[in-house]
Formats: sequence, C-alpha cells, structure tokens
Amino acid sequence: MRSAVRARNTGVASFRTQLFTAMMVIVATLTALGLYFAQRKVTADAAGNLQQNFQAELSSLHKLEELRHAALADRCHALAAKPRIHAAMEDNALDLLYPSAKDELRDLMEGEEPPPEQAAQWLHARFYRFLDSTGAVIKPPNPYDVGQLDTQTEAQLTLHKLPETQQIGYIQENGDAGGGGAIDEVIAVPIFSTGTGDLISALVIGFKPLELESKHTGAGMKSGIWANGRLHLPSLPKSAQASLNDEIANKIANSDRLQNNFVVNVDGTPQLLFYKRLNPDSLFPPAYEICVYPLADSMAQLHRLRWQIGGAGALLLLGGFVASHLVALRLSVPVKKLALDSEENRAQRKRAEAALASTAEELERSTRYSADASHQLKSPVTVLRVGLETLLAREDFKPEVYEELSVLLHQTHRLTGVIDDLLLLSRMDAGHLQIASTPVNLSQLVDEWLDDLAALPDSPDVKIEKEFPAGLFVAGEKRYTSLIVQNLLENARKYNRPGGRIRVSASRACGTRDVALTIGNTGRTIPRDENIFERFHHCSTRSAASGHGIGLNLARELTRLHGGDLRLVRSENDWTEFEVRFPAADGVNAVT
Amino acid sequence: MGLRGLLSFNTIFFGLPIALLASAAVEGRVELPKSHSAPVQAKRYEIVTHAGVLSTQPPLAVVYLDGVFPQPASLPMKQVAQKDLTFIPSLLPVRVGTKVEFPNLDDTYHSIFSYSPAKRFDLGRYRPEERPIPTQVFDKPGLVTLRCDIHEHMRGLILVLNTPYFVMTDTNGRFRLDGLPAGRYTLKAWIDSRTTREKPVEFKSGQTLHVDFP
Repeated sequence: MRSAVRARNTGVASFRTQLFTAMMVIVATLTALGLYFAQRKVTADAAGNLQQNFQAELSSLHKLEELRHAALADRCHALAAKPRIHAAMEDNALDLLYPSAKDELRDLMEGEEPPPEQAAQWLHARFYRFLDSTGAVIKPPNPYDVGQLDTQTEAQLTLHKLPETQQIGYIQENGDAGGGGAIDEVIAVPIFSTGTGDLISALVIGFKPLELESKHTGAGMKSGIWANGRLHLPSLPKSAQASLNDEIANKIANSDRLQNNFVVNVDGTPQLLFYKRLNPDSLFPPAYEICVYPLADSMAQLHRLRWQIGGAGALLLLGGFVASHLVALRLSVPVKKLALDSEENRAQRKRAEAALASTAEELERSTRYSADASHQLKSPVTVLRVGLETLLAREDFKPEVYEELSVLLHQTHRLTGVIDDLLLLSRMDAGHLQIASTPVNLSQLVDEWLDDLAALPDSPDVKIEKEFPAGLFVAGEKRYTSLIVQNLLENARKYNRPGGRIRVSASRACGTRDVALTIGNTGRTIPRDENIFERFHHCSTRSAASGHGIGLNLARELTRLHGGDLRLVRSENDWTEFEVRFPAADGVNAVT
Repeated sequence: MGLRGLLSFNTIFFGLPIALLASAAVEGRVELPKSHSAPVQAKRYEIVTHAGVLSTQPPLAVVYLDGVFPQPASLPMKQVAQKDLTFIPSLLPVRVGTKVEFPNLDDTYHSIFSYSPAKRFDLGRYRPEERPIPTQVFDKPGLVTLRCDIHEHMRGLILVLNTPYFVMTDTNGRFRLDGLPAGRYTLKAWIDSRTTREKPVEFKSGQTLHVDFP
C-alpha cells in the first residue's frame, strides 16, 4: 500500500514536471521570438533612420548642387554668347580662348574661398579648362590664370566626346603620392555656338566638392567620395580607408544599383555604410557619395533591448514557474483523486476477473459434466436398444414376446429423446447454449416436419391445413428451430382427436420484425389454470397421449434463446392454438 | 542691276593705270547657292553663318584672277563702316596691303575685333565721334571675319587678295573683269568661307573670254 502511495506521488510529481517543462518551453520560445523580432525591428529601424538621414543630406546637397549648376549653366551660356569666345572657337584661334575667357571667368577664380554654407552661391572654382570639339582638353597658355593642374589630373578632364548636357565628375588630384590627393568636383558645361547652335566646346570647371553637413546627423557620421576606384574619406585613417575601399569596390562592382547600404567594420566597430551614385549617366567615370554612420547607438539600443526582453523572459519564466507550480498543485488534486479512483477500479476489476475465472472454471466443469452425463446415460440405453433389437431379430419367440419387445424398444427410443432433451435443458440452464444465428428457411422446415408427421405409422386421421408463404426465413440455428417446430407439431398431432385437423400458418407479424408461426389443432382443450410450460408438467387429466413433460418447456426456452417467444394463444371450443415468434432473418425475406 | 551699274561699280575700283596696260577681259556667271531667305529688296546684304560657313545673304561671289602681280607703292584706303549695327559693306575684297578704316556711324559704342589667322586685331571700344577713325592694314591674304565685342550678331568679311583684278558678282552671279593682262592664269570664284572655285584661263590681248563657274 505504501509503495502504491509512493507511485502515486511520483506520478503527480512527474505530471507537475511535465507541466512546468511545457510552460518553460512556451515561455522560452516566446522570449526567443520576441528577442528575434525586436532585434530585427531595431536593426531595420536604425537602418531606416540612417537611410532617411542619408537621403535628406543628399537631397540638401543635391539642392545646393542644382543651384551651382544653374548658376554655371547661365554663366556658360553667357560665355558662349561672348563674341570673343565665339571668335576664338570659330576662327580657329584656340590660343585666344583662355585670354578671351579670362576676363569673363575672372570672378570664378579670384573670389575668396567662401564659407561652406555659401559654397553653392559662390562659384569659387579651383580651375577651369576648355574642351575642343573632340572632347580633348585645350591646353591653357598660362596655367596660372586658370588653375594649375598636373598632366595626369588634367588628362582626367578629357571626355570621349563633347557633352550635350551638364556632366558631373569627380577627379582626384595626384599631388599626393599616397593617393590622398584632394577630390575635385568637375562640371562640364556644353558651349553651343550662338550663330549655328552647334556644340562647339565645353567648359570644365573644377570645384572643391560640397560636403555633407554633419550638424544634424549625429557626431559620428563621416562622409566622403569614392571615385576612380579610390575612396576619399579624409576623416578616416589611411588603413581603414584602404580596407573600406576594397569593400566598396567589391559592392559596387557586384551591384548595378545606384545606391545601397551595407554594414562594415571600421577599426573593429560596426558602421552602416551608404553609397549613392553622384553622377548617374555622366560621361565622367562613376563617382559615389559615401556616408559611414556608426552603429554604436543602435547597437547599444539593441543591447539594452536584449537585456530588457531577456529580463522580461526570465520574469515570465519565474512567473510561469510559480503559476505552473500552483496550477500543478490545483490540478494534482483531481489527478490524485483520479489516481485513487483508478486504484480502486483496478482492485474491483481484479476481483471481477477472479470471479470470472472461477465462473469460467465452473462452466467448464459443468460442460464436462454434461458431456460425461450424456455419455453415461446414453451408453446403457444404446446397449439396451441393441439387445432388444437382437432379441427381435430372433424367430423362436411367441408373438406376444415380440410385441413386448417392440414396446420396450420404443421405450428406449423415448428414453434417448428424454435424455437429449434433458441434456439440452441442462446446457441451457448452465447458460452454455449459444445460438449461431443464420437464416433458416422456416417454410421448408415446417413442410419437412409435416411430411414426417404424415409418415408416422400411428398417425390419427387428421386433416392438415397449411397457410404460409414459401421461403419465409427466420434468424436462428437450424437444429434448435427445427426442434421447436418438431415439438409443437408433434404435440398438435399427439393431442388431436380422430377426424380432427391441424392448421399451420406463418407470416410476418404486423408492425414488428418478427415472423409468427401459429400451430392450431382440434382436440381436448387445456384448462385455463394449468401451467403447461412448467418443466415436467403433466396434464391433470390422464389421456392416451404420452409425454414426458419437458417438450413445451424446452421449446419455450429455445424460442426465448432465439430472441422470440412461445405462448398459448387460446384453448377453447375444441381448438388449441400456439404461437411462436422468431426474429426474421434480415434481408432474406424479400417478399412476404 | 544693269550693265551700266556694273560698269560704274568697276570704274570706282579699277580707275587705275594698270587697267590701261591690259586689254583682255573676262565675263561669265557664277552658279550661286540658293538663297534661303526671301529675296531682299534693298541693295544691302549681310553676312550669315550656316553650319559654320560664312557667306553673304543674298549670295554673292567674288571673282578674281590669281597670280603674282607687282605691288604698287600705295593703295587707296577702303572703308568698312558700322551702321545700324551692321558692317557696310559686309563683304569687302581688298588687295594685300590695303588700309581699311572702320568708322562708327551708329549712336553707340562698337568694339571691332578679329581673331582670324589672316589678321588679328582688336580696335577696342570706340564712340562715333572718336578721332582718328580706327584703321587696320591687311597685309596677309585670307579671309578676315570682323566681329563686334558688344554686338555679338554683327559679322563682316574682308577678303584679302594677292591680286588687283577682282570683282563682285551681281545677285545673279554675273561678272565682268576688264583690263586683264594677257597670259595664263587661274581665275577663282570665292563663294563662301569654305568654297572657292577655280578655272585655268589664258588671255590674249583684245579678247573677251567667257568663263562660267558651274
């Protein structure tokens, strides 16, 4: 008993553990999901914010550049309209181009370097050059006036054809051997002849590039330009620039997008790098604005968030633990009860099983007894009958002896019948008899028995009336159904009067699934108070008819075993009528 | 313009002793490009640029006899005036060494200059009443494009030639040159800044040759 309690407690504990584990799994999953989505959101938000920032910066830069470009376009238009420039171009006096333009463009070169916020309004050029009709740079006679450039830098200004619209390019001055030379923004402005409208030249003006203003973007933003395969981002150390340069070159080479962003590592800290093509569709080599934003803020935010969500998850887990504990306690009460109940049930079942086993044993014993009894009873009768038959076969007896022997032989037959009936009854009483139900053709059965009856030697002179359809099937086991019919028909013959009649009718009983077989006969009626269905019942009035008093009882028991019934319908005015009800065989009685 | 007008035109330019020595003449017609604008009623014509080619409008040609001729000691001064913001005449053929003056007949400043290889000069800004009237000597053969730094549309042409024998055609392209020396020469027709046609000719005394430039 103690071990059972222990087992029960272990069961409850394991239930509690399972419940808690399930809760833990759910909480852990939720926390992990929360962390994952929050992290994604923070990263996306940070990227989105910085992207917006970058775009805003670029658009302000773009506006400044547009102002500058508009101013330059005006300037060049005016310049092209100048007869001297025109004359120099058209009269093949290119050597006079620079002197002619010098006055016009003097203010471009001579202004003080403006403060950054006015850079767009101030057209402070670092240099300018004219391109001839093939796009090549026309060498200035006096480079000092137009901004000195070394040969390599000047060569970068050459275009493969004259531009029809303004072109923006970025060139790197090679003054510094380390490649850190200043980047110049160059704008090529076409010059059309005022006389012919033909494109006769272009003016290429070099400026210090406009820089992104970092005042609204947070301190860490660094901007620069990537042009000609080189990164110019002076605020970064050389080594970082070199490694970034390779990454950017890779990204740009592998993507045909004009702008993009990706995460880079600069000196071990993650940064978000944006790039955008500054001169789409330009005749100059592509150049990109590069912006690097430190991700420290968003990383810190992410870190904080991770802690918060992790903490929340832990709290949830703790709460879950407590809750699951409580719930388990609450739940474990009925579970405990259930366990107890099931224990009782089990004990009951065991008892029932034991009882069943003993019953089964008894049954087996009684079956064995029946078989034994049958053997023990039948054997002597058989011996008796065989002896009588042998005696009957002899011819040296007096005729009265034969008669006596014949009566005795008949009695052995009756005895066998009685023994069979008794054994059957005892089996039924023991509950051993089971009906293997199959469709039985009742009509045929009745016909056969009526034929047999007629063939019996001592048949009284009775008239037989039949009233049943052919092929009426009932559900039953044929030998028992047959026994019932035999019993009733024999009775009807046995208790009939000479010159009487037997009427057999069968039909589907109205409103039920039964088949009703009615057997009536003329002759002496049965008094109302006689219980003819009792075992070993004998008629109160002696008659010629012989019986051992178990036939009707057996028939009724068998009928009931089939799920039907046998009853005396009436017995009056020289007419006795029995009715047997059998369950009909399903699906066989097609037509009734 | 009738023949009388043409003759008088020639008389103005060729009232020279050289003409007396010569006896041959040439006449003919230069096929002129189609005029792109409606015919101008006035006798004036102007210089137009089409695809970078300068020509007169309505089209006119200058026919001249190419060759080496003795240079006279002095040449009469020619004139290209600025009037109504145009050059008058807008095309002036001159012999090498000719001095041309550029009087300003407008009420405004002009600033005449040329970047042409044949003659680069820059007269600077000057008013009508300014004296002396600016002049330039054209000492290299070639076409000189005159421009005004103030009035960008103004164009003038001076065709500096090695020869004293030249004439402008009428608007139909007809021309006649008198008093030419006998001998073998090349007769040329300047049509615009890009097109000059030429034909070899041989003059005999007292003969009038007929030459057409298709």
